[in-house]
Amino acid sequence: MSREGGPREGGGPLAGVRVVDLGWLTAGAASSALLLDLGAEVVKVEGPGALDPFRDWAGAGAADGDWWNRSAFYNFTNRGKRSLCLDLKDPRGLAALMRVLEGADVLVENYRRGVLASFGLDPATLRRRFPRLVIASISSQGEDGPERDMVSFGSTLEATGGLAALTGPADGDPAVTGRNVNYPDQVVCLFAAGAIVSALAARDATGEGAHLDLSQRELTSFLLGEELIAAAAGAPSPRAGNGDPAAPGGMPGETPGETPGETVERDGAGWRAVWPGGSAPVRDAVAVAGSEAFAGGTALLRTPDGLPAKGMPFRYGTWPAAIARGPSDLGADNRATLAAAGLPAEEIEALERAGVAATRPRRGPLL
Amino acid sequence: MTPAFTGRRVLDLSAFAPGRAHALAIAMAAKLAAAFGATVVRPVPPGGDPMAALPPLLPDGSSAVARFLLAGRAEGPADGRFDAAVGGFGAATAADAALRVRVSVFGPGDDPPMTELGLMALSGMLSAMEWGGRAPCRLGGHQPAYAAGLAAFTALAAGLRAGMRDVADVSMFDTACWLNWKATATVALKGADAARAEAARPRDWRTARARDGHVALVYMAKDWAALRDLVGDPRLHEPCFATQASRVENMAALDAILDPWFAAHTRAEITAAAQARRVPVGPVLTPAELLTDRQHAARGFLGPDGAPRLPLRWVSYGAGEARDVA
Repeated sequence: MSREGGPREGGGPLAGVRVVDLGWLTAGAASSALLLDLGAEVVKVEGPGALDPFRDWAGAGAADGDWWNRSAFYNFTNRGKRSLCLDLKDPRGLAALMRVLEGADVLVENYRRGVLASFGLDPATLRRRFPRLVIASISSQGEDGPERDMVSFGSTLEATGGLAALTGPADGDPAVTGRNVNYPDQVVCLFAAGAIVSALAARDATGEGAHLDLSQRELTSFLLGEELIAAAAGAPSPRAGNGDPAAPGGMPGETPGETPGETVERDGAGWRAVWPGGSAPVRDAVAVAGSEAFAGGTALLRTPDGLPAKGMPFRYGTWPAAIARGPSDLGADNRATLAAAGLPAEEIEALERAGVAATRPRRGPLL
Repeated sequence: MTPAFTGRRVLDLSAFAPGRAHALAIAMAAKLAAAFGATVVRPVPPGGDPMAALPPLLPDGSSAVARFLLAGRAEGPADGRFDAAVGGFGAATAADAALRVRVSVFGPGDDPPMTELGLMALSGMLSAMEWGGRAPCRLGGHQPAYAAGLAAFTALAAGLRAGMRDVADVSMFDTACWLNWKATATVALKGADAARAEAARPRDWRTARARDGHVALVYMAKDWAALRDLVGDPRLHEPCFATQASRVENMAALDAILDPWFAAHTRAEITAAAQARRVPVGPVLTPAELLTDRQHAARGFLGPDGAPRLPLRWVSYGAGEARDVA
């Protein structure tokens, strides 16, 4: 089922921009979602043997029939995108994707380094064939360097990027956000979307696309830029618990810890953040979701069908934050997308008969 | 690379922001606009620039924050019309600019005083950092403000490219909640009880003490066998550690086996052994250690003064080179 479009489709600052989304999980898929939120059309491409791992989730099992369309977190993140399911390991599937890329402005991918090239889709080849294409490669370490292939999740990058060393109690161990936040996977989307938009703006002037090599580890370090500069000047900051990083107590030679004026204190069974002149409750997820500010904000929105959906961190006066479409089922837009790319109906049918274009995976659920 | 926004004038109103979190977010957005080619003007009030004294301070008494956010930018009067302005709600609304990007605490309207610690508390980011009965801990640095700055730049860039005459609003609270989406999504999709149960689960991702510091112990269910074999303790084959659920249930016993192994090895030894088995474990590195980190060095990420370039390489295959945005 591909849900009907709403009145919000067809506008916004990125109206007319077409994005091919090879992004998985959050770092890739939510970057593309932000482009969609700015008005771009996004086609998410998966394969019958290469599903976004987010489609596996503990809430669905093989008994659920089309379990691959039931993942609430997948649907939450990928709302509004069209779904194209092509076997890219088959030359016919790859050729079909190339036709789709002819009309695309942006390609987003966050495969493990080397996987894209194994499909014959290395960025250098793509750039030669599609000179106007902006290719955003989001990776843990970047496209090169001695640790290019170091396997990392978001919280690994908090450690190797410098964030963990500055997070945690002054008298205890450094800390990572863990599997429910995986902070670098979230924050990279905000930067990647801006970088992609900037590359489109440059292309407007020159006609030339670009390959953007985005390293999540570099972003993690970048967001501690002042600490790197201080360390280089011989004045590194200590880990200071909940102390204000820009208050005197956090400075070398002064007492680190909970003294600089910002702290977290017991408040009944919970906690309260306290700073000079103010305080706020430390809300758990249920309290956040139930708060007036959250309900009136844009972080979580609803599809036209009422499904909870990932919101957006910005809104315009003429382009308010809203979700025009729900998620598409796997491959629901195969025919429409391939026809729009110029494939004749008989060719599309041949791809379907061969299982190269598909609407179901070739495996069962992993969880 | 042809800079994206050459010839565009952007007004940075961070020196007139209603609070420090706003100022840091606004200055981050403006820094990115400058890095992508815009001419950025940042007026300062007659009393001086509040950012100039913001710690961490360098040995010459100047602010590392100001060096990071403002280096290489022009200061000057806010005369004339701008293509875009980014500032607090009031200042940006009043600016003479086609696109006005307004950074606020909760969105358009009232803008109460708020700290970054408060934003983390209200958005659930702090409670995500609570375990073991200790007070939850903030993320290091200025994550809530800088993340809002990234969002503000994206809104600014999209509006500039489209030539919009409009306002764009970025709420620091919404941005923090957006980053911490899985918490509220769990409430919305699975219910409050499931969210509370999720929050109460022992944390299997953590740091572990090594002989010379710490490593991040991070793994998925599929990595368990490799981690188990890496540590090599026969007790890890016991049925109580066979599944993700049973490992969480027996976390204290598991940690009692894992911790001594980590403590007996250096970060480099642990990382090499884990990576050889494709387990995503890595060393906890301090900013000082990152100055000589081989990956950052190979990619030319940090300047001699420690200042990072943008976390982006803009590759031009036609010229056979990779160019970095300053």
